[in-house]
Parts: sequence; structure tokens; C-alpha cells
Amino acid sequence: MTAFIPPESAARPREEVSRVSLRGALSWGDFRRYWFLFVFGIFVPLILFMVFVGYPMLNTIFLSLFKWNGITIAKEFIGIQNYINLLHDPNLKVSFINNMLWFVLTLIFPVIGGLILAAILSSGKLFFPKLFLVLMLLPITLSMVTVGTMFGLITNPVFGALNKALASIGLGFIQPDWLGPNLAIYTLIGVASWSGLGLTTLMFHAAMGQVPEELYETAEMEGSKAYQTFLYVTLPSIRPVIGIVTILVAIGSLRAFDIVFIMTRGGPFKKTNVLGYLLYTEAFTKQHFGYGAAIGTIILLFAAVLMYFYIRQNVLSANQ
Amino acid sequence: MDRLTAEETNLNIPAERLYREAPFLMRVNKRFRLDAILFTLIALVMIGIWSYPVILTVMNSLKTNASVMLGPLSLPIPPTLEAFIQTWKIMDFPLLMKNTAFLAIGGTALAIVLSATPAYVLSRFHLPGGELFFVILLTGMVLPQQAVIVPLYDIMSRLKLLDSLWGLLLVHGVYGMSFTLLFLRGFMASIPIDLEDAARVDGANDFQVLLRVIIPLAAPGVAIAAALNIISIWNELFFALIFLSSPEKYPVTMGLQLMTTSRYFLSWNMPAAAVIIAQIPTILLYTFAYRFIQKGLTAGSLKG
Repeated sequence: MTAFIPPESAARPREEVSRVSLRGALSWGDFRRYWFLFVFGIFVPLILFMVFVGYPMLNTIFLSLFKWNGITIAKEFIGIQNYINLLHDPNLKVSFINNMLWFVLTLIFPVIGGLILAAILSSGKLFFPKLFLVLMLLPITLSMVTVGTMFGLITNPVFGALNKALASIGLGFIQPDWLGPNLAIYTLIGVASWSGLGLTTLMFHAAMGQVPEELYETAEMEGSKAYQTFLYVTLPSIRPVIGIVTILVAIGSLRAFDIVFIMTRGGPFKKTNVLGYLLYTEAFTKQHFGYGAAIGTIILLFAAVLMYFYIRQNVLSANQ
Repeated sequence: MDRLTAEETNLNIPAERLYREAPFLMRVNKRFRLDAILFTLIALVMIGIWSYPVILTVMNSLKTNASVMLGPLSLPIPPTLEAFIQTWKIMDFPLLMKNTAFLAIGGTALAIVLSATPAYVLSRFHLPGGELFFVILLTGMVLPQQAVIVPLYDIMSRLKLLDSLWGLLLVHGVYGMSFTLLFLRGFMASIPIDLEDAARVDGANDFQVLLRVIIPLAAPGVAIAAALNIISIWNELFFALIFLSSPEKYPVTMGLQLMTTSRYFLSWNMPAAAVIIAQIPTILLYTFAYRFIQKGLTAGSLKG
């Protein structure tokens, strides 16, 4: 959830960075002189990373070709049988649709909602905008366990506050079961959106603060209305940030697990399964590790595409 | 003086323009404009609705279970700490907090120690393949944990690190490295090279330069990375769920999920009290370091 954006100086043009701070090239010939930098700056982090991140990534694909219970040493090679089983698994279909739904709806609420809120906050027509931002960002300090618990209580069909509130404003005839088979997935996505809105608003707000003032002044002189300024000045100026936020939202929907685990455990009738939770139940409760790895490979595939865009957008372009 | 045209005299003219172009009108005091008050009121109402779940949770943690059942929306009058006392008795919070603090502080420290030197190397040297090295280290930042969990579980069991807090700390440290590295690298690149050259002339080696010159100058960056890492490890559930099996090693998120999972809560006041206790450290950190945290979350999404 942390983990987002390169700091300002990383975004500087390369020449400027090199003038200020570059020592020159580091090559093998310098090993004796710079051994400390080689060992702790390259080897140790790279080895640890390979052991705990790089190798597991590749091994997920390898393990998905086996039938394995996770305990024995012997693994049975079954080729692409896991993937064939996956194709016939109704849970996979449900999970996949839920993940897509999660992505589309979190794109609408936290991203578009965040854009609108950020525009209001930076419009200058608000007293103490900073205070609003501080309050809105509070959910990033709460764990998904906490958020899930809070909303589990609010949406509880027996004594939940949401239905009680509906009743108290005269809508007592609408008493939906928020965590019932039809609504549960939307409730979960709503909760996820609630906890993500502060961050997207903050990022858009910061981006809007960077738009050169002259652009706004010109627009104003041309007689542009507020919504026109927003559409034709603000939005194009912050396009890179919108791109980054969209990728992060997509990755967030691929990662969805905690809220499902806390609020519904994939139920009722497995209707709120998502890929991450399906993998957890297959691998770690049913001991189908090979099958779990196959689901992991699917997640990895989507993640790889997103990571490619993320790194291109965020890191490499900033250096060139 | 230019007269305002007929169509411009409607209310669509921006206030600033009116202020500038129509000195013959009554001057509007910008600080107390009516629309600002209106906007603020609307925003306050919206923020009230938006943060209502948090308010409700706090309110209901201060009630008895019977009064929660009567009406979750009512105010806690008189407030009682019964739920907190009972929760404290049922859950071993000192132990949970101790485990979580160990993971959060240890994992953060490890992430910073591991990424300080590569951040320095990447910010100071042209490295053959440096870009690739950097990109490889960054993948940990956005990788869904589920994509690697099966082999990672296998590796942890081979290294005899399953059900071990040290093992989990190591994983948190390595996965925290990507973000910390990205962040520190940017900070270190903005430190002028002359400052470390002076130390090098005095005979300092690489380690001393890093420890005495670079890290102190990059201290704000270290603080931001630390605050964000601590919060994310404090709130982490998935790795703890997979790797830990004995309850005496659980962090708070795992302790909470035992008590509060599923829709079938028997009471509201106790889970509410439990989550509040569990989040006190992160909320305190946020209150004291929110400037750092905000900066860390936004810094430089914006290119100059």
C-alpha cells in the first residue's frame, strides 16, 4: 500500500543529476577500491532479492506444472493439467469476473472520485483544505483487518448500523443483506474504495499543485469556465499521474485478499471469491500447491503487464 | 474603462476576474467569500458522512453490548470502558503488540540497512546494467504477494523459517527494500558531491562516507521511508497468515482476525474496541508524522 512514486530528484533530467552528483562509472576493475559498495550495494541485496522475490516468481510458473501437496519432496509432473482443470473450475470464472469488477469499480470510485475531490480541494474555494486531506488520508493508517471489521459490523444484517440508519430515515422497507449472495461483492468493493479514496485524492491533489499557474491565468483570461479549465487544463497536465494511479488501482484489485478474508471468506456460496483468495484456499487449506501455483501464474501474468507499464511510466521515463 | 458586455454580467465570471475588472463594484473580501463558506460546509458534511464508519466504531466501542443491540446509531451516554476492559482480558494485547513492533521496527530497519548502499551506488555511479539492476529491485514494490506465495512458502520451509518471527522479519525487510531504495536513491542523488569529497580527502572510506555524510544528509528521506514501512508492516496480514502458525507469535492483525472474521459477530462493542487498540500506534505515528507520510506518498509523482 505504501510504495508508490519516485521522489522528486529521481524525476530530474539525467544531465542535471550527473552534474551535481555522479562519481563516474563503476566497473569490475574498481572492485578492490570499492569492494564495500560492490558487496553491500550490489551482491547482498541482489542475492536476497533473488532468493525471496526473483526465484519465487519464476518458480511459481515451474511449480504450476506439478501436482504437489506442499509437504512431500516428491512432486508429480502433470504438464498443463492444472491449467486444464482451471479452465473447468467454476470458482476461477467467478473469481476472475470479480477481479475485473473490482478493477472497473475501483477505477470509477477512487480514481474519478479522487479527481473530483482533488479538484475541489485545490480550487481555493475551501477553508483549510489541508485539514480535509489529513482526515481523508487517515484510512491508510488502518489495516484492512480493521477496515473489514468496521464495515462488517456496519453491514451486519442483524444489528448493523447501515440498515438501522436506512430505517431511521424512513427507508425501513429497504433492508438489503449487504453481505448476502447478490450484494456482497459490491459491498466489498465499496469498502475497498472507501479505504483507497484518500490516497488517490492526495496524489491528484499534489499533482494539481504542480500545474503551472500561468496555464490557469491564460485560461481565465480566455474566459474559460471552471469545468472547462478542469477538462482542458488540469486533466491533460496531470495525465502521467492519472496513468500511475490507474496502474496502482489495477494492481490493488489483483492483490485483493484481506477484505475478502475478513468480511466474507469468499462466501456466501463462493460468490465473493477473488483470484488471491482462491489461491489461498486451494494451496493453503486444501494443500493443492501445484494448482495454487497455476492460479499464481495467472496473477503473475497480469501483474507482469502492469509492472511493465508502471516501471516504464514511473521510473525509466523519469530518467530520460 | 472597458464595460462588461451583457453576456458577461451573469454569474459565470470568475470571482477573481470580477474583482480585477470591476473596481467600481463593491470590493469582495476574498477571505470571507460566501462561496468559500458554502463549499467548506458542503465538504464538511461530505467528510462527516465519509468518516462516519470510524466515528461509529469509536462510539460503539464506548457502549455496553446491550445498548449496541438497542441502537448502534445512538450516542454512548454514559460512555463506558467495559468493552476495552473485556477485550484486553480476552486478547493478549501486550504480546500481540510486542510481536508486531518487533516485525515493524525490525523489518523497517532491515529494509533501510539493505537499501542504503544500493541507493548510494545507483545515485552516484554509472553501472553497467545499472538500470536493469534497479528495475529488478523495484519489482518487489508492486508484485502481488499471491503471485509468489507458493514457492516462497517452500523456500521458507527449507530454510526452517516457517513459524518464525525472524523469518517473517526477513521477508518484510526484503519486500520493503524496493520502495525504500527508490525513495533513498532520489534523495541521495540530490546531495551535492562536494560534501562527500571533503570527507574522502580526510581519508574516509565508502562505509564512513555513507554512514557519516550521506545518511545524515538523507535523514528526511530515511524518516519518510521508515514511517511508511512501519505502517505497512504493522497492518500486513497475508504473509503473517501464511508463515506463522503458533498464536504466541501472531502480530495484531492475526490476533484481530481470530476475533472478528466473518459476518457473524456476536457483539459490536468488543471488536470495535479491539481494532481501536490495535491501530493506536499507527494513528499516533500518523498524527506526529503525517507531513512526512504525505510527502512520501506523493513525492515526485510529478515531474518537474
